[in-house]
Amino acid sequence: MKQTSERIRRIIEDSSLHLCLECGKCSASCPRLVAGRQYSPRLVAQKLMFHPEDAAYINNAVWECLTCGICEERCPSGVQFCRFILEMREALAEEQGLLGYRAHDGALHSWMRIMTAPELSQNRLEWLTPDLKVAQRGEVAFFTGCSPYFDVFFNNIQVDTLSLARDSIRLLNRLGREPVLLGNERCCGHDLLWTGDRENFETLCRLNYQEFRDHGVKEVITSCPECYLVLSQYLPKAVPESRLKVTLLIDLLAAEAQAGRITFKPLERRATYQDPCRLGRMAGRYEEPRGLMAKVPGLELKEMEFSRQGALCCGNSSFVNCDAFSKRIQVERLRQAQATGADLLVTACPKCLIHTTCAMRDPVKGGSLAMEVRGLVNILADQME
Amino acid sequence: MSPVNLLGIACNWSPYCCYNAAGQAGLELPPSFRLMRVMCIGRINQALILRAFEHGADGVIVLECEDADCRYGPGPEVGHNNVARVRKLLRFLGIGQERLVEKTFLADQKEELVRVLWDFHRRIEALGPNPAKARQERVAS
Repeated sequence: MKQTSERIRRIIEDSSLHLCLECGKCSASCPRLVAGRQYSPRLVAQKLMFHPEDAAYINNAVWECLTCGICEERCPSGVQFCRFILEMREALAEEQGLLGYRAHDGALHSWMRIMTAPELSQNRLEWLTPDLKVAQRGEVAFFTGCSPYFDVFFNNIQVDTLSLARDSIRLLNRLGREPVLLGNERCCGHDLLWTGDRENFETLCRLNYQEFRDHGVKEVITSCPECYLVLSQYLPKAVPESRLKVTLLIDLLAAEAQAGRITFKPLERRATYQDPCRLGRMAGRYEEPRGLMAKVPGLELKEMEFSRQGALCCGNSSFVNCDAFSKRIQVERLRQAQATGADLLVTACPKCLIHTTCAMRDPVKGGSLAMEVRGLVNILADQME
Repeated sequence: MSPVNLLGIACNWSPYCCYNAAGQAGLELPPSFRLMRVMCIGRINQALILRAFEHGADGVIVLECEDADCRYGPGPEVGHNNVARVRKLLRFLGIGQERLVEKTFLADQKEELVRVLWDFHRRIEALGPNPAKARQERVAS
């Protein structure tokens, strides 16, 4: 990358990289740098603009980012750093075949790519129990996401991601809704998008859109922040004819709870809340989850030292770069959670659930990080009246 | 009918001994069978098996030592766990769990190895190609 190509120039322009003042607020707040990693968002921006010949640094640094978005929150100039990382990864993957260091040896990305085969006929609904009411046809579908797959893949850390799907349906049934569940829904493609695999990401978008269209689905409800982000913001760009309405389950629940159509039994617990990056900083939902927790009588919410816009990442995103520095971030986050005096950690993203649980299971820490961690929908479904 | 693509993942010790002995004895192996030798089946993770299917394998057979024979300790048990989980994932994906099998061998079972491979070959041939195969031309990940 001795000379800045036209493509890179466009990425710099589109993400407003040239507005950088070199104030360094991004680097000072970057969880990876704070955890001790030699990585600086400020430096990668400067290198790309003024020293593009240092390709070794740039190519590595682009894959270091967690895309948690805290740098964008802190940046006084409005540099779109996450967009910059996303587009650079696409360029590096396409032009140089770079894929970054993928966690779990890329197994999750493998099954996501396998799902791009159009003739695949999945058996992804085996987890449905008879008490869950779902419809065969209808205009509203529930998007399960990768929960059934995570449930198998991560069964060694005892994390129940399927309970998120079951409890979401339970809540929808309580609201009198019976969503359609699509037996051949694909992964939303979030992790492929954020690791530079645009081609396969768009294939997944098209296949999902066809699946919705073929079943007459006009609205999709999801409880996963990543699926919500992709289906509402990125799918319409990949499939321009899409007119899909995408609803986040907690938005729906917040509105119904506000109107008094759903109430909750008391739960005498002290809890703290982990803001998922895709739900908070990328979708702006800070108050909705807190408002729902406040509707559960007796449930006391204690905020962590870093919360809302300043929330600390769960340590990993899109299953790249899970390393010792991810672990340090997770340990720091769990220590913050413990410092609140809470005995229950609530989150709203399956991946936060997986990563915090994984860090707690670290045998070296001897269980000192352990605390109960549950999804927001788990709590709400258990307490609904 | 196009020949099926079979991948064997073999531990270097007992199963590879059998494979080597079968080759020396001139025993015929199924066409399109490829072997990947690893030092211990405990080295294999879920990703390696899934990747074989991502890149168009029609069947994968994991060839292990008996539990008590492992030169390193828990190798075959790690193998059992990984195979069990990937079989479930393959069922969910619609590729079919029967496309992934594991077999254990003692070092002197060359005829048994050849019989198992032919048996596996016939079963996969009857199943037809891996439905995820259309993307096999994709760049190696």
